[in-house]
Amino acid sequence: MNAHAPVLAFEGVDAFYGAAHILHGVSFQVRAGESVAILGRNGVGKTTIVNTLLGIARHGAGAIRFHDRAIERPRPYQAARAGIGVALQGRKLFPNLSVRENLMLGAASNRAGAWTLDGVFDLFPVLRERAEAPGTALSGGQQQMLAIGRALMANPDLLVLDEPSEGLAPVIVDELAAVFGALNAKGTALLLIEQNLSLVERVSRRFAVLAKGRVVEEGSLDGIDRTSLQRHIAI
Amino acid sequence: MLIQILNGLVYGTFLFAMASGLALMFGLRRIVNFAHGALYMLGAYFGYTAAKLAGFWGGLLVAALGLAVLGVALDILVFRPLRGRDPLTTLLVTFGLALISEDFIQTFWGNDTHSFAEPALLSGVVQLPGTTFPIYRLAIVAFGILVAGGLAFWLTRSKVGLYVRAASHDPVIAAVQGVDTDRLSALVVGVGAALAGMAGVVAAPILSISPAMAADILVDSFIVVVIGGLGSLGGAFAAALILGQINVLGVVFLPELTALLPFLLMMAVLIWRPTGLAGSRV
Repeated sequence: MNAHAPVLAFEGVDAFYGAAHILHGVSFQVRAGESVAILGRNGVGKTTIVNTLLGIARHGAGAIRFHDRAIERPRPYQAARAGIGVALQGRKLFPNLSVRENLMLGAASNRAGAWTLDGVFDLFPVLRERAEAPGTALSGGQQQMLAIGRALMANPDLLVLDEPSEGLAPVIVDELAAVFGALNAKGTALLLIEQNLSLVERVSRRFAVLAKGRVVEEGSLDGIDRTSLQRHIAI
Repeated sequence: MLIQILNGLVYGTFLFAMASGLALMFGLRRIVNFAHGALYMLGAYFGYTAAKLAGFWGGLLVAALGLAVLGVALDILVFRPLRGRDPLTTLLVTFGLALISEDFIQTFWGNDTHSFAEPALLSGVVQLPGTTFPIYRLAIVAFGILVAGGLAFWLTRSKVGLYVRAASHDPVIAAVQGVDTDRLSALVVGVGAALAGMAGVVAAPILSISPAMAADILVDSFIVVVIGGLGSLGGAFAAALILGQINVLGVVFLPELTALLPFLLMMAVLIWRPTGLAGSRV
């Protein structure tokens, strides 16, 4: 795999919920083995990027490419099958399924790869201990681990993480940062949608800032002025 | 008394076989299918016609397969385009389909009532303390229990069953995991329609076959699904057994209120527990 080939590319993408125009010409790339962060305040359209990729938000003008193939009219199930694993904002676990079943559902895309139930249990041993508990009976941090584990079960080339630190204690965020770093080091590209700058700095090398549905700043996180980024995130 | 309880069990288990499809369809499509009684009626008529050539079991098979195909078509051609529409639209469309089905039956089979003989294998009676009971009625109980057991096994032990349970809770999030919920819904509606069709054939030897047969069973099936908890199979099973007993015992102890009792029970459950007995889907 070419280290510089984009895994995911948004090229001037507009997106809508009904008549509401949310994203305006959004462009960014995630290259193979790279971790890119999308930053921005609440309500600027960060999650709409994920929803557009999944076909939940309507994709208007512009192009979305995954492994250089245009995704014309995305449908939710196609993303996982194509190799995009998504840990959704709010975790979105199934309360009527056990931890084990939530994870097995993540393999519904039938993509072969290194991630299996045992692999996820080795990554997050607490999930093995609570395997038969309902998915939503876990603590917030454990639920986030389950959401990430479920996304990994799709053996994704790109892992999309939508606000994974939301509502979690700093010690759990530290643990997740280490996991994200390890996954990225093993070659999984990451798209990290976050407001937690400290997590972003530990996991990603490049960033794009979203404001009112537009990319207003992007670049490398190396040597960036932290206060300028903080300004875009602070409420 | 034993006979009344057994008859209640017969009606309850039969009602579950009928209502289970309704619960499954609601879970996946969030559609209140007023045409479900029509599927039951079509199954009875298809089975009745096929049985003339191939006997009871041939009729049962034709009803199951024919209604499964019809169910898949119903999902693809009607339910899928109705996705996301307001409940009133889906209600009117499915109600319209029920009326069309009734006209279809009247056109091709007429308004007469038809009888349908039980299979020789299941004819006769069993001896019980101080009385006898028809073997065929016990076979209906076995059919209902088989449907309940089969669905429980399918939903809890198979990969597709896992997808059905997930999609019943949230079809979009299930799809994000890679589940093609459109294909899954077509399968589930096909299974639900096949169960309704089989229920039509199974009921035929003890109830008459007529174009009016859909209405009564539809009302009771809806009561079962509502009392059980919309989309919940476990709740529907419990509700069907309760309703079966209420229907039969009501005739004995409160004959003036028999017709009202199911509705009173539904009202009581909705006030006490608005989400139904199970309170969750599938």
